[in-house]
Amino acid sequence: MLRNAAYSAVRLTTRPTPRLFLRAQSTNALTNSQIPFTFSKSGPLAVKYTAQHEWIAAHQDGTAFVGITKYAADALGDATYVELPEIDTELEAGESLGSLESVKSASEIYSPIAGTVVEVNESLNDSPQLINQDPTGEAWIAKLRVSSLDDMQNEDLMSLEQYEKSLEEDHH
Amino acid sequence: MFGIVRGLKPACGLSLGFKIYCRSLGSAPPFDLDLDAQNDKFSDLNNMYTEMFTNDGLEPSKLLTSSSKSATHIYDSEVDELNAEFTETYDFSPKIICGQELTKLVEAPGRFIIQSLSNNPYYNLAVEDYVFKNTPVVKGHTFLNERLLFYVNGKCAVIGKNQTPWKELFLQNCKSKGYRYVRRLSGGGAVVHDLGNVNYSYLTSRDAFQREYFNQKIVGWLKEARPGTQFDLNERGDIHLDGFKVSGSAFKIARGKSYHHGTMLVDSDLASFRGLLKPAHIDNVSWSGGSVDSVRSRVKNIQGAGFKKTGDFIDICVQGFRTTLQEDVPLYLIDEEITQTDAIMATTGHLASDEWLYDSGPKFVIALGREKLSVEKGLIADSTIPGLAGQHFTSFVESFNKGKFGDFDVNI
Repeated sequence: MLRNAAYSAVRLTTRPTPRLFLRAQSTNALTNSQIPFTFSKSGPLAVKYTAQHEWIAAHQDGTAFVGITKYAADALGDATYVELPEIDTELEAGESLGSLESVKSASEIYSPIAGTVVEVNESLNDSPQLINQDPTGEAWIAKLRVSSLDDMQNEDLMSLEQYEKSLEEDHH
Repeated sequence: MFGIVRGLKPACGLSLGFKIYCRSLGSAPPFDLDLDAQNDKFSDLNNMYTEMFTNDGLEPSKLLTSSSKSATHIYDSEVDELNAEFTETYDFSPKIICGQELTKLVEAPGRFIIQSLSNNPYYNLAVEDYVFKNTPVVKGHTFLNERLLFYVNGKCAVIGKNQTPWKELFLQNCKSKGYRYVRRLSGGGAVVHDLGNVNYSYLTSRDAFQREYFNQKIVGWLKEARPGTQFDLNERGDIHLDGFKVSGSAFKIARGKSYHHGTMLVDSDLASFRGLLKPAHIDNVSWSGGSVDSVRSRVKNIQGAGFKKTGDFIDICVQGFRTTLQEDVPLYLIDEEITQTDAIMATTGHLASDEWLYDSGPKFVIALGREKLSVEKGLIADSTIPGLAGQHFTSFVESFNKGKFGDFDVNI
């Protein structure tokens, strides 16, 4: 009884604001000169974001590119290794798509929606630092054939505005 | 009424026998409890527990049933029962919890500390992974479910998830000197553990993740405990004592949570660590591929700064953690024989499997003199030496080290 009476909502205000997150000021929008954007002439049908800091850009023909946001790349620091998925892997929404190692941290990357991996960004094998240079463009991680484009309307997925707002709410 | 710990106890029935069990952690039964059998109303129960925990053949499920049945009939009066409850309530010594208790504890909100009594690195990493995966997190809510784990592994050489074992370790030496090879689930470089090294693991939310946070805390606690000692953090966030590295760190981030686990060399046999980790360069062998490099450092124990045993370090961290959080965070003990869940045992097996250890790391190319081999998922994909494609790299290494591929003057 006594031991558990001590369970209280003790605040962590003594902690400084995480320095890592203060760097994350720049835009998480897709780089419009890179393949995730230019794959279709008219650009992607929809670009959405997850609470786990992935982005997905889906095109008219059911192809989608997945990567991590600028915010996540900044927060994690210098990437040293990207673990890419196997081609032909079928993924459910939320299943692990790969991982990113940066400064001794292994971070999981999840598929925002269901689909099959049709291509991976092999250039990340030799140049993981692309993740820091252009996470929302050149450093796309996997190309999926999505199971259904309707899944892009899934309410767990956020628009760019909603995503940026969620970041402000988390770290105001 | 007595909170989470008491509420859980009857299911596993470990509470009353605990003190006896505490002393009986060694392999032999500690003492003859029958001596006071006439006077001690707990003697039956204590003897039962003693037998239970010194008998390897019994299945845990059997233990649970028998203990919970007898537990209901032991008190002569309500007064005795109340007394026993009070004794427990005011007994702040840690409890060994079973798998079911661990599950309830991990899935419920709230902070706690776990100390493992197992020295099996695969089991300890599996428990850590289990706690990590099952700790609740709600997006947008302040995270108050921090968890802190301590474990001490028997002799082993540990590499990061994205490293290549043959590149980092003298695997043959490790084997002949009795160091098991372990591949972590987190990032980072290669380290050696033994019973003089403590592993600590601090779990928090992804949003609160900050690489240096916990090591800064540890430095503060150690300096407070032993004023005048020269602990500090280097630019990589590693703890140093008098300019020597005493601790290494690695991190994992997934599903809104993160952990920072680190090592602390207390009284390790550093001399015998020699010849286990490979240097950055070995003549006639070169590696390319995405694998993460280890940073070589000069290490030492913190024993000389007045921390004699691994337990001293753990005690200081437990106290520091409670003070920092201004909460009497409960401490539980776990043990491989008792604290089992299906998920933990499955992960333990996976981490010890050849598939995880040798066949699922980053792909790489190794150059041996003029020859080159590319390896993917543990198999040789391509080679300048004819006839190797499709072979397991481990079998190639074995033949190569026996000199079957001619005079290379080097081992892998």
